[in-house]
Amino acid sequence: MTAMTNARGLVTAASLAATLLVGGTTTFAVAEEVVLTMAVPDWPPTRIMKKFFDEQYKPASGNIVKLDVDFIPWPDFYTRVNASLTSGEQKYNFIVSDSQWLGAFVEGGYFRKINDLLEADPAFMATFNEIHPNPKNAYSTYPHKSENYYGFPQFPDVLVNFGRSDVLCHADEQANFLAKYGNKLPCTGEELDAMTWDDFRNVGEFFRRAKGEMLAGAPAEDDFYGIAYQAGKGYDFSSMQINGFIWQMGGEIWDETQIPTGQAEGVVNSAEAVAGLEKYLSMLEFMPPLAKTGTMDIFKSDELFREGKVAMNINWIGLGEASLDPNSSKVSDKLVFGQMPGTMVDGEMKRWSNIGGQPFVLTTWTTDAQIKEAVEFVKWWLSPDIQRLFAAGGGQSAIKSVYEDPAYITYRPWNRAWAPQLDWQKDVWHVPQFFELLTQQQDQFDLAITGKQDAKTTLDNVAKFQQDLLTEAGLIQ
Amino acid sequence: MNAAALPAPGLITFVPHNWKLAVLLGLAVSIIAVASLPAAASFWVVGAMAVMVGAAFVINAFRREYYGGLLVTPAIAVLFVMNIFPLLWSLGLSFFAYQSNQQSIRFVGLNNYIKVLTNDIAAEANWNALVNTGMFVVLTVAAQMVVGFLLAMMFAKQFPLRKYLLILVLTPMMLSVVAAGVFFTYYYDPTFGILSYVMQSITGEQYILMDSKAGAVAGIVFADAWMWSPFVMLLVLAGLVSVPKYLYEAAAVDRVSAWRRFWTITFPYIRGLLMLALLFRTIEAFKLADLVILLTKGGNDTMTISYHLIRIANEQNKSSEGAAISYLMLFIVIVLTNLYLYIANRRSQGN
Repeated sequence: MTAMTNARGLVTAASLAATLLVGGTTTFAVAEEVVLTMAVPDWPPTRIMKKFFDEQYKPASGNIVKLDVDFIPWPDFYTRVNASLTSGEQKYNFIVSDSQWLGAFVEGGYFRKINDLLEADPAFMATFNEIHPNPKNAYSTYPHKSENYYGFPQFPDVLVNFGRSDVLCHADEQANFLAKYGNKLPCTGEELDAMTWDDFRNVGEFFRRAKGEMLAGAPAEDDFYGIAYQAGKGYDFSSMQINGFIWQMGGEIWDETQIPTGQAEGVVNSAEAVAGLEKYLSMLEFMPPLAKTGTMDIFKSDELFREGKVAMNINWIGLGEASLDPNSSKVSDKLVFGQMPGTMVDGEMKRWSNIGGQPFVLTTWTTDAQIKEAVEFVKWWLSPDIQRLFAAGGGQSAIKSVYEDPAYITYRPWNRAWAPQLDWQKDVWHVPQFFELLTQQQDQFDLAITGKQDAKTTLDNVAKFQQDLLTEAGLIQ
Repeated sequence: MNAAALPAPGLITFVPHNWKLAVLLGLAVSIIAVASLPAAASFWVVGAMAVMVGAAFVINAFRREYYGGLLVTPAIAVLFVMNIFPLLWSLGLSFFAYQSNQQSIRFVGLNNYIKVLTNDIAAEANWNALVNTGMFVVLTVAAQMVVGFLLAMMFAKQFPLRKYLLILVLTPMMLSVVAAGVFFTYYYDPTFGILSYVMQSITGEQYILMDSKAGAVAGIVFADAWMWSPFVMLLVLAGLVSVPKYLYEAAAVDRVSAWRRFWTITFPYIRGLLMLALLFRTIEAFKLADLVILLTKGGNDTMTISYHLIRIANEQNKSSEGAAISYLMLFIVIVLTNLYLYIANRRSQGN
């Protein structure tokens, strides 16, 4: 070997090393790894999101983006997220937040305002503006209906009517119902849509069968009940239904957009509100006996429906997947869905209902690099193609161009009830005191549900408590 | 020269073992830091001062060969960090208006205590929860003592399959409360539950256990007794098997009645253990929250003070009000425990 080749070899080796080094650093700089940590409730809508992300998401930046998701069971969800935020551990970048939590966690300095992100990106703003105003107000704005934005819809949700077509459409039942009440027993989706609460009550009364009595042409294997809806003491498992009754009857809850002049006393316990609560309470007697114990939450009423114990159940779409699955549902092949019943006021159908579903929000300690990737991810999530896939996979979309697509209603049997219900959605309060308001109200509603006190006393107590608390907090003057 | 008799250094001598100077310096720096720095920074300054004072004590002890004291230091340090410090911290918190989800904090003196004791809404809820707790303490402990005692009497004798039955009876105690709670939820469920099914087939009427206060309380007490009677049984059983056989043999020779045999031979041997079981179960029953959350969510007037406290401090984020309630509870428990120990001691001295 000559000195020349030696030197050439050295140069080659050096250049190779240099290429490796430069190449190495450049690839390192491009493919940065960004981890987004997320707290979500454990149920199908969030499982689907995680699945889509892992299978389909390709970050435009070329970075390696990982979504590290904590799936937390629903009953513990608020407590866990609350504990994580208030303890200051700063663990999560993304949180699927119930809409009511916004005020508490914005005031606490945990949720990041996103106006600057929207303004910096016109395409993002355009997507954001495609969200139906009702979910947008409920999920994003604090103070409520202001222009301060905090969240993006993760899974928008409404209450719908789950029906069992095998009993509702049975010829004998149809004939008997017509003979007894003088109108047709609702059987198709359209007929369910047209129901008022009085019709709903009749279904409840009509289908109350003891074990062995005839039901849809055969003796009932077990006690059977006509109707069910949430009447539980935990979390918000009666307020979400009762609010709809109060609004439909012309009543109001305390209006946070009227701070500081909006009052609680006189509004919360108005005659209309009392009539709404009375209507709600009057139907409990036609429901499975669990309703009398104050523990019939959304999961229990769903279970009773899937076990084939009731003919109709009002529940969130988010719990619907399990009823379609033959492994978890005895009624998977005999389902019909419609909008939640309404109330006829002067010949017009009022359909007000409490919005469900959740936004996801960014936290204030999320770094710029994470925010960049998070925004890319949200844009991808809210893009029509992914929203369509999500809806087809059991999710729901609040993006106009998606849910107005004629194909939308073919994805899932309840989708036909989705778009018309969106216009009728309102939300509970978003103020930082919401959890105190909620627990006291739930306690009071529970007393009414279990027959300890009447509707008037209940709403008087709620109104007095809210008036005191909100006055002390400076929200009522 | 004896290490313990080493002369103490002068007050302002800068040596590592001058603990008096360390205490003074630590106090002075801490006060200045608390007064002038933001809370997040002063917390660490005060922490560092506490470590410095601790280190001075340790070095001093080492120099003087106080090895006994040094050996227990780690235990005391852990106790301080994990128990005493949080206790003092929450005691301090109970004099401030502070919510864990808000940034502001304000000194309010005894206002939190006044609120939880006299406010027409808060005090009524607290009092109600406390009365319920008292009721649960009496009912659950009584049920567990009686059932546990009877079980122990049964298992003290030899009979076929005793060993396997004993394992079965002990199982509930080892289950997680959540599992037991979910199990009882279904057991009591009026649609799916076996209880309503059996009652309905007997009476022909629909039976709902949990729709009244009496039913809900009975449901919770039964579930609690099911879980914790085996614990009482274990303790009593230990007492029963320790009774010397010859006493019974002598009693048999004297033809002593079974009742008398029990009171004069068996009972004195198990009394101490019964008292211990009573103390443990009373303290535990005072903290009852898990089964209530799982079975009724506090509905049907079954709210206990522990669950009430969880709601106030953890869910509504009213940390300082929660701290005030906790300290009142702690006070009640200490008074009750001392009363109990006093009575138990007087009894045993009387005999």
